[in-house]
This record gives sequence, structure tokens and C-alpha cells, in this order.
Amino acid sequence: MSTAGAAPPPPGAHPLLAGSPGLRRRKLVNRTMESTATLAALIAVAVLAIVIASVLIKGVSAINLDFFIKSPAPFGQSGGGIANSIVGTALLVAMASVLAVPVGILVGIHTSEFARPSVASSIRFALDILNGVPTIVTGIFVFGLLVVGHVQSGYAGAFALAIIMLPIVARSAHEVLSLVPSSLREASLALGVRRWRTVLTIVVPTAASGLVTGALLAVARVAGETAPLLFTSSIASNLVSTNPSQAFASIPVSIFTLSEEASPAAHAQAWAAALLLIFLVVLLNVLARSVFGRSQARIGRTR
Amino acid sequence: MIKNKTAALAGCAALALGLAACGSSNSSSPSTGSVDTLVGAGSTLVAPLVSEWQPEYDKKTKVAVTYGAIGSGGGIAQITARTVDFGASDAPLSEDQFKEAKGVVQIPWALAATVVAYHLEGAPNQLKLTGPVLVEIYKGKITTWNAPQIAALNPGVTLPATKITPIHRSDGSGDTFAFTNYLSHISPEWSSQIGHATEVTFPVGIGAKGNSGVGGAISSTNGAIGYIAIAYVLENKFDYALIKNAAGNYPVPGIPSISAAAKTLTSVPANNEVSIVDPPASAPQAYPISTFTYALVPEKAPKASTLKPFLKWAITEGQTFGPKLDFAPLPEQVVKADEATIEKIGS
Amino acid sequence: MLGREPAPRRALTLRGRAGVADRLGDPGLRLLTWLASGASMVLIALLVYKVFDQAGESISHFGLGFVTANVWNPVTRRFGAGSFIYGTAVSSLIALLIAGPMAIAIALFLTELAPLRVRRPVATLVELLAAIPSVVLGLWGIIVMAPFLNNTLEPALRSLLGWMPLFAGSASPFGLLPAILILTIMTVPIVAAVTREVFQTVPTELKESALALGSTRWEMVRMVILPYAKSGIVGASILGLGRALGEAIAVTQVIGDETGIHASLFAPADTLASRVASTYQGATSTLEISSLAYLSAILLVFALIANAIARLIVRRSTLRMRAAGPRPGLAVTVAEAQA
Repeated sequence: MSTAGAAPPPPGAHPLLAGSPGLRRRKLVNRTMESTATLAALIAVAVLAIVIASVLIKGVSAINLDFFIKSPAPFGQSGGGIANSIVGTALLVAMASVLAVPVGILVGIHTSEFARPSVASSIRFALDILNGVPTIVTGIFVFGLLVVGHVQSGYAGAFALAIIMLPIVARSAHEVLSLVPSSLREASLALGVRRWRTVLTIVVPTAASGLVTGALLAVARVAGETAPLLFTSSIASNLVSTNPSQAFASIPVSIFTLSEEASPAAHAQAWAAALLLIFLVVLLNVLARSVFGRSQARIGRTR
Repeated sequence: MIKNKTAALAGCAALALGLAACGSSNSSSPSTGSVDTLVGAGSTLVAPLVSEWQPEYDKKTKVAVTYGAIGSGGGIAQITARTVDFGASDAPLSEDQFKEAKGVVQIPWALAATVVAYHLEGAPNQLKLTGPVLVEIYKGKITTWNAPQIAALNPGVTLPATKITPIHRSDGSGDTFAFTNYLSHISPEWSSQIGHATEVTFPVGIGAKGNSGVGGAISSTNGAIGYIAIAYVLENKFDYALIKNAAGNYPVPGIPSISAAAKTLTSVPANNEVSIVDPPASAPQAYPISTFTYALVPEKAPKASTLKPFLKWAITEGQTFGPKLDFAPLPEQVVKADEATIEKIGS
Repeated sequence: MLGREPAPRRALTLRGRAGVADRLGDPGLRLLTWLASGASMVLIALLVYKVFDQAGESISHFGLGFVTANVWNPVTRRFGAGSFIYGTAVSSLIALLIAGPMAIAIALFLTELAPLRVRRPVATLVELLAAIPSVVLGLWGIIVMAPFLNNTLEPALRSLLGWMPLFAGSASPFGLLPAILILTIMTVPIVAAVTREVFQTVPTELKESALALGSTRWEMVRMVILPYAKSGIVGASILGLGRALGEAIAVTQVIGDETGIHASLFAPADTLASRVASTYQGATSTLEISSLAYLSAILLVFALIANAIARLIVRRSTLRMRAAGPRPGLAVTVAEAQA
């Protein structure tokens, strides 16, 4: 391995050999670079700490029982909570999952089990394209498709979220299903089990933890999305609603609205809602990771 | 163990879906047990008043009104797309907008004002400003608070040298309409270069979303000045400017000065467009940036039977909730014109 | 993938003799999954079509000149994407310029420098940064960062670097600079996660041989890891860029929503995504709505190109990594990195 571009070494002193005259300088450069890298990592952790600390400190003061069970107070009055947004987010995410998770898993099964490799890679490329669509554009699409001529609705909001979830679920399903050892499939087929039974009763259950992981990651991603809901489910009742043909309030949209207000009370509620949202997202990510870890072990055992 | 997990996940999803299905089985659902719903969106100026109306009207008639304060521009756009049952806008519809809306009527249902608020540490409340000075500020020609033009209007007040940050609305706003309408009346240059609408291209300044956003920007920036609906100034206790009216006086924005401006209205035209910015000198105590705000309703509204009583209630009983938010009562002739328009709504 | 099913007519399945369900099951499942994939493809095509369709009125009205026109005037009904493309480009590129080296440094820290005990927690913390919803970052930006910039950082930058037009304007709480900082915070974890995975595929023999020849760790990084991982780093960066391009919410909360191209980073500005987010619901005319859809179409094209390039590059690295052995961790990482 040559040090391209370096000056030719003085006779008898290769730059890479210890004891050469440039060693001190090289060690200094090394130390500097190592410190820089460490510093960068520390800065990243520090920024995270600052943001989380802000949310924690400012949000904790507004968290009380009312926050969870009461709806927003009318203009100018203090108190109230975000019960309508909490229920709304839960319902939106649940409905989106019901739509996106089965379809995503089916797509994953298709690309890993049935499709020809060329077809599979085209589908996966198309899903990558879908994944790269900015969420605001997804919101505009669903607005044009489902809201124009009707009203905003939980259905429209859930559909927008499902579009965002789909590529994530499908891709992770594909990855996880591909990891199931072909020995399992071959053994099952050799015993005479039909293909579809093999897939549904052997392959999918083996990959089940990974599928759940993919679903949880997708949920964690959309639980905090604001842009797709802005035009599809933002004009919502102040009261708790479970009617999906009307718009649902949601935690991210509430944070968005509250963040632009002037009153300290509104800000405090925004921080508290942000705290709740971060907590939810972190919980889902941790769950996903622990499920995945266990599935790794399982796949390891089946080899 | 894994089976239990997936089963649990499926169970949760099924439960949520079941909840949702339960909710939709009775066609309107908010947990007050309301019988019917109306969805409206638009003006943030009228939003405080609507939020007073919501619980009262629900109590009285079991109709739940949902309102999204997305700005007057949003009210016009959403009713044009018929994604809401009624829109709300402080800006009257233009010719083109009437055409695009295909059969929408406007009904002035509240009366308030757009106030010029500011945040200036070291200065007192109620600084005096004039229209021409506001034009210069918003064009970026006057850049500090201690500029001679401002100092001349406020003798005896030591103004700090803080930079002026003009705040405007980034969304389609009836307050922008009222404010730029006023500036267009005052300054032909403004009228030709920038014009008046719910959304204009301001040469300088920062944009904020909604009256709340402008309020937020004002309260967090020393030296900021912005136009904002009167109810928000009250709620946040902002400092506000006194604007010189045509008679040369500096009326305090409030119900008396707003009503004085409304009294200059001679008649209500057929399309109900009532503009009272920059009232003539014959109203000595009129506040120059007073504005009506309209409900926008389709002529052939599918929910006419629910809408009409609501609108009627809003322009009569609903007005009693206005004064504490500095909404002035509607003048008689406006109420009469409204009632005639409301009658004509049918499905 | 595994070829045709085994031949026996009356297959002895694990549950006994073949029945109707068994015979229908195969074509049934194939059809079902094929339908799912088909529906997804239709969805993607429909999305792109609908966005361009909505933009139709504006495209036919303004043509391609829209893309460079620096105007957004609802009163005169003249619209153009120029200042928003500028805002998007400047904010995303500068954010990447800051985030890229930082992310590489973090990845190096996590793969080479950190003691083993520290790696997991720090890696988790960096991934946590990626999981923070953008609206929360925007909230933090409005309430904590904006006043800090307006009162402290921007005046300091102006006094230090004011000779550069970038830092010459007057301080403002909202503008390009807060947007850049927030986008940087969002981009770093994505680029760091993918870069770290790429670094972990560098064959240890190469690294060890460099070290055995007496190179310092930095020299090993410079001569072995960075060249080997070059395309992966580029791919990761473009992935991060794609994410920054499309960010609407956090940006619209702190960027000041102004049309116009200014030299100073302190001045309020706007990006494609942010303008759509703030104005779409309240557009004054169908022409404006269509112009906003035109902005979305331009944004879509940019984001898709960035994403496609990144994926192709990352996939090439992935194939090389696959040759090195199965690494399921990448699936999870890249899945998250697709934030």
C-alpha cells in the first residue's frame, strides 16, 4: 500500500516504519484526528441531550392528569389537555397499520418467494421510489384523491400514513424473509408440503419477529409525521372523536399548531405533547429492536 | 411466544378498528352525544368567537361545530373545494373567487379589528403611528424604532434604537387583506406596487402562520411589529399602536371605535361586501383598520337545514359572546341583509 | 425462486391428503401477493400522475420559465419556483456540508475509536436523534434556537465573519440559518448510520495490514477505510440529502416564509416543501394551487433523483457487503435511515 502523492522517503527511512523522523508529526496528526472524531460524536450526543432536556424540562411541568383526559380549552382559557389528539393518533396509526402491514408483508412475500429476480428488483426499486417521496407530497396526493369534494377524514389521514408505512414494511419483510434459510423451505417441500403452506406455515412464522420489527419501525416513523396529515386530517373537533369519516386530531399536528402560538400555556402544552410523542417513538423503536434481537437468535438457532 | 406477540398486535389492531367502526356506526360521534356536526374552516380572526360559540351551540341544539382556524385564505379555498360545510374569511370574495367558488354567498357575521401590535423593550404601550409610517416600515424604508418619523409622532417618548422587524402573515389571511387594504387606501404607491389581498408579496419582514403565529413571533422578538386580530392582542396583552384616522385622532382600538367605523356604512350591497377600512373624517373616533368577517356558505348547501339555524343564531344570540373578545355588535342593516341572504340558502 | 413444487399427484402433506384448499392455495397465494405488489406499483404511478396533473394548469400557464422565475405574487398572479429552489438547494447542501463530515467522524468513532463498552450506548443515542419527529425539532427551533440565534449567535457571526455576504445581513430569529441547523441535526444520524454500516464491511485484513506496517490509526483510516468506503459514503450522503430536501414541517416553522433570494443566511427565506406546507391550504386561486402542485412536482423530481442515485450507490456497496457474509443489521439500519 503506497502513500500516493507523498514525497519520496529519505534513504533508509520508510515513513511507515517506526523511528522515522516524521513520526512525531504523524502521531500528532493522528491524535488530532482522533480527537476530532470523538468531538463530533460528543457534539451529536450533546445536541441530542439539549433537545431531549428541553423537551423534558419544559414538558414535564404541563403533564398532569388533565393533559391526558381533557380536550383543549376554548380560546383564552387555560387548562385542558390533548385527549382528542391522543385518541386521534392512536386511531390513525391503527387504521394505517391495518392497511399497510398486511399489504406490505404480502409484497415482501411476493418479492422474496414468488417473483422472478428481475421482477422482484423492479418492485423493490419502485418501493424505494415511494419511500423517497417527501411526505408533504404524499399529503397533497391524498388530498387530491380523497378529500377534494368530500371532507377531511380519518380515512384520508390513515391512508396517507399507510402510503408512508408501506415501503418500510415491504422492504423489511423482504429482507427478513430472504434470511430464512432455504434449508427450511427445501425440507418442507421435500416432505410434500405445498408451496403456499410452506410459505404461510414455515417461512413466515420463522420470520415473524422480523416482520413485527418492520411493522413497529414503520409505526414509529408515522406516529410522528405531521405533513401527510396537514391537508387530510387537521380540521378536527376539539372533542374526542372515534368517527373516521371526520378528521381526527393528532399529536404531531397539535404540536405544530401549538408551537406557533404566543401564550406560554400553549407552549407548555406543546412541550408536553412533544415529550409524549418522543416517549412513544422511543418505546416503539426499543420494542422493535428487542423483537429483532430475539429473532436474530432464533434464526441463528435454526441453522 | 412469538405467536403471542403477533396475536397481541393483531388484537390491538382489531380493537382499534372495532372502536373506529363503533364510532362510525352512529353517523356523528363526538362524545357529547351530539346529533349532527358542522365542519367549518378559515379565519383566525373569528376563531376565538367561534370557540365561544361551539360549546354554547352544542348545549343548545346538540349540533357540534368543528372549526379549523387555517386562515381566511384557507376558508375561501376549502369552501371552494367543498371540503367543509362553511368557510370563514375576513376578506370578501373577489370576482374571480366568486366565479371559482361556483355559487357561494358571503354573510358578514362578526365585526372586529386588525390591530398593529409590537414588542419593544424600553418603550411604553400605545405608541402613535400613522398609515404612511406603516407603509414605510413594511416597505423596509424605516428600519429602527427611533427613526425621526416615529419620534415626531411620539414627542416626549425616548425610543430605543432597536431594529424594526415587520411581521406579516405567511398564510392566506383576512387580516392581511384588511391591513393591506388600509395601506392601499393610504398610499397609492403601495396599492400599485404591492396591492391588497389575503396574500401579498411583502418586500421585507418575517412570515408567520396564523394570528397565533404572528403573536408568537412578536412576543419572541424584541423590535417586532405586526398586524394581528384584536382578540389575540387582548389575550396576550401585547403593546399596540394607536393609528391616526382620517379625522386626525388616535382612537384606542376597541368596541366604541370599531362601532364608530361601522356606522359609516351607508348600505349593504347585493353581494354583502362591506368594507370599513379608513373610514372618512366624518367619524372622528373611528378605528381605521376595522373589519367585518364573513361566513361563506354554498347557495345550495347540502346541510342547509343545519347551517341556517346556526347562522341565524350566530348573527343574533351569538353576538352576545363577542364583547368580551372585543367584537362589536353587528349593525342593524347588516343583520337585516344577512337574514335575507340566509333565507335564500336552500338545498 | 426454488423451482416447481415436487411432483406426486396425491401429495402426502403434513396434514394428510391434498384437498381443494391445497390445490387452490398456491395460485391463490401467488395471486394475492401479486395483487399486493401490483397495487403498490399502481399507487406509485398514481401518485406521480396526480401531482403532475394538479400542476397542469400552472405548467401550461407558465411553462418551464416557472422553474427559474423568482416571484410569488398572488395579487398579480405571477408565480415561480426560483427563490424556493434556491432556498431548498442552499439549506440542504450547506446542511449536508456540515452533516457529512460530522457523520463520517461519528461513524469512525463508533467503529474504530470508541471503547467497546461505549459503542452501543452512543450508537443508540445517535439513532435516537434520528427518531425525533421533525415537528418536535421545529418546536425546539422556534422556542429555544430562534431566540438564541437572534440574540447571540447571529450577531457573533456577523461581527466575526460579516465581511462575507453570507453573514452580512441583520440578525433575525427565523431564516435560512436556523433551517440549515435543524436540517443538519436531522441529516447527521441518517448519514452516520449508513456510513457506520459501510465502515463495518471494510475487511479487517486490510486494516490490520496497514496497522502492521506501522501506520497510525488515522493513516489507516485515510488509506484503507475511506477509499474502500468511498461510494458508500457518497451514497449515504445523498440519502441524507434526499431527506433534507423533502423536509417541510420543521423548516416551515423556522425559515420565515419569505419569497426572494438574499445573499445573507440570516434573511428569511423559503423552500419548496415549506412553501407548499404553509400555503397550500389557503391558496387564493386555482392558479396558485396549481403552482403549488408545480412546486411539489419539482420537489418530487429532485427527491426521487437523489434517492435513486443514493440507492443505486448503496446497493452496489450492499452487494459487495453481501459477498462478505449476511448482515441483517443493514436492513434495519437502512430501513430507519429512510426516514
